[in-house]
Amino acid sequence: MLIERSSSWKEGFIQRLENQEPWNNAVLYNMSYDITKNNLITDFTGLQSLAYLPNVKPLPHQIQAAERVIEQMNGKAILADEVGLGKTIEAGLIIKEYLLRGLVKKVLILVPASLVNQWVEELYTKFHIPALLYKKNYELDYVDVVVMSMDTAKRSPHKEKVFAQDYDLIIVDEAHKLKNHQTISYKFVQSLKKKFCLLLTATPIQNDTFELFYLVTLLKQGHLGNYEEFSSVFSAKNRDEERDSYLKELVSQVMVRNRRQDTGVEWSTRKIHTVPITFTDSERQAYTAISNLKQLSPLFSDAFSTMTLQREMCSSPDATIGTLRMKLQECKQAEEISYVKDVIDQLEKMSIHSKAKKAAELIAQANEKVIIFTEYRMTQLYLSDYLYANGISNVIFNGKLSKSSREWIKHLFKQQAQVLIATESGAEGINLQFCHHVINYDLPWNPMKLEQRIGRVHRLGQEHDVQIYNLAVKETIDDHVMKVLQGKIETFEQVVGELDDILEMKEQSV
Amino acid sequence: MHSTEIHTYLHRFFTENDCEILHGNEHYLTVQLTIDMDKRIMNRPFYWRYIESVNEIPNPAQLTLITDMQQLQNGMKGEVIHLGSPRLHQLFRLTKEMGQYVKLYERIVDTNEQQILTPWVGVNYKVSFTSHQTKEILYSLGINLMTGTVLKEFQETIAMRDLSEQSSEQVFHLPYIITPTRALDRLDTVISQVIEGEDLTWVEEAEKRWKKDQAVLDYFYEGQEPKPQCYEMEKQAMEERFKPRITVDVVNGGLFYLI
Repeated sequence: MLIERSSSWKEGFIQRLENQEPWNNAVLYNMSYDITKNNLITDFTGLQSLAYLPNVKPLPHQIQAAERVIEQMNGKAILADEVGLGKTIEAGLIIKEYLLRGLVKKVLILVPASLVNQWVEELYTKFHIPALLYKKNYELDYVDVVVMSMDTAKRSPHKEKVFAQDYDLIIVDEAHKLKNHQTISYKFVQSLKKKFCLLLTATPIQNDTFELFYLVTLLKQGHLGNYEEFSSVFSAKNRDEERDSYLKELVSQVMVRNRRQDTGVEWSTRKIHTVPITFTDSERQAYTAISNLKQLSPLFSDAFSTMTLQREMCSSPDATIGTLRMKLQECKQAEEISYVKDVIDQLEKMSIHSKAKKAAELIAQANEKVIIFTEYRMTQLYLSDYLYANGISNVIFNGKLSKSSREWIKHLFKQQAQVLIATESGAEGINLQFCHHVINYDLPWNPMKLEQRIGRVHRLGQEHDVQIYNLAVKETIDDHVMKVLQGKIETFEQVVGELDDILEMKEQSV
Repeated sequence: MHSTEIHTYLHRFFTENDCEILHGNEHYLTVQLTIDMDKRIMNRPFYWRYIESVNEIPNPAQLTLITDMQQLQNGMKGEVIHLGSPRLHQLFRLTKEMGQYVKLYERIVDTNEQQILTPWVGVNYKVSFTSHQTKEILYSLGINLMTGTVLKEFQETIAMRDLSEQSSEQVFHLPYIITPTRALDRLDTVISQVIEGEDLTWVEEAEKRWKKDQAVLDYFYEGQEPKPQCYEMEKQAMEERFKPRITVDVVNGGLFYLI
């Protein structure tokens, strides 16, 4: 086998024999040897990096994950621990280990814009890795570790700059955003050379197994076969258990997934409560009127708009009115207009929504800090007003807030307000362990969104049992949403593995 | 390296480089850098260019290096130095750079009669085995320039002897028969032989994994001709990941005159 050597030392030695350069100091000579000996990588396996990291005390499951990725998965893996178990720590350990061993020189870290600062800070304070936060006009030639927002990186002229570099390790955080293989993000990551690659996501499947297929294919082409084979074998309507466990086995070769109970840490438990709500007569009337819209006008005939309105009706009159007003502008026939106006009138006169009342009751009962998640901005405002009117202090959190306002709101919630009312887009990446009541005011279609919501509070550092209240109006679209969620959770568990409780078990529900 | 070892190292490093230790104890030290050391480690070329261009009196920096983090709680200000800190690695690099080549003579105690010293070339090699994983081995070899005898663990041997950068008086240095250049070539051969004797199952393991991944990739693109660019790219990535490589680096070495 070929042995590579460099001749530069020899040249320097000859120069000194010919008295062209001075000799070095004997003490430094011996020190240099001792340092080399001390810092030698004496084993192929094991983490050398732990000795270099006095500021982190990784948990056993994090160390095992890092070792498994490096030693068994050859540095290509999906890190899919449940939310809050420290995927970033695992990724940091892996980066550090590869840098120390000299197997990696250049690292590219792609993350959502909201998490860019957090990554740079964690890498520096915990792992002593100086990472550059990429800004426009930065040159990448001399930067070893760079953190970029995915949205910036995938666009010109930035993507050209990335392509011009030769990265050894590519890391994508919140990788479930790559589930759709037709997006620019997916194609961008696909076109990067991946000597080593880590995809981080707590939720590798959100809706169906194809998302996992594309994620795994992005990491390792061919690992799950090609699309035709995969779809013929695994997406068959009548799944069988043998195939599912085969798929699970294949997936586990490229995926690390720690569950809370595997971590050896005492975890507080989740208490899930399904809270059924009964519409009042007037609410039921309005709901029926909305459901009948589709028979009245072609404008409402597609399933989607009826479903949206029904879901809004299960949330707040304000959310429903908002959508109806927009629809009203499209209405042409007098009959349509008067019907819709009539419904709006009905909604405007309505007293407090039963779900909102229930939420206020739950908050009063808890008598502690509570997070409410809703799908609708209008409901968010509606709830905020209603809670204030009832003497419950609250703050609002959504995706439109700037980074500094987000920090400020989080601070206010921690210090002063009893309730935080958040929409989905606001929830990503914030840590709120000081709170342990979560009200899912509306349920999303996607169980992973629920998992992400709960993960805001049910993470390392949570000392109390976490109380989760899933609110659903009886005999409405809410029932259907519940059923869909249940089905998706089953798919996930068959292919990826068990999930911590999100919904109350069917037999237990009230 | 423990914090006490790091402390000893820092102390020796700065003392050897003529930087005065202003104060300190076993947990920290405050050191006055020389102009040369400031230029090497403080990373402020503009300051030095300015000082030198206007002939200002230079003011090299003082550093407080803390090896025991507890001291921070006592309100001490300074850089915390531990095995992972960038400053320590900078100093390691510098030590390596400044301790690459030596010419040393063994000290003679009894100077009444003439003593003869034999020339040796000693070299410390770091051998790296690299594929998707790494391992390093340190070898210290010495070769007698009169007889061609090769000695292993040479560094350990000379560490026990009293060596000096100056030759004692009344000492005769044998002129070497084997030139140092030829001696180095000879050591290169010895190193190759030593490496062949090492456990090389890691090469097979890497190749096995490589083949397996390549087969999966080929299967994915079976029947597609010509293969698309992403096939070639993945193939390239695989080679970078798995190709077994052996590299030999010289840590340092020198010419030694020994009894």
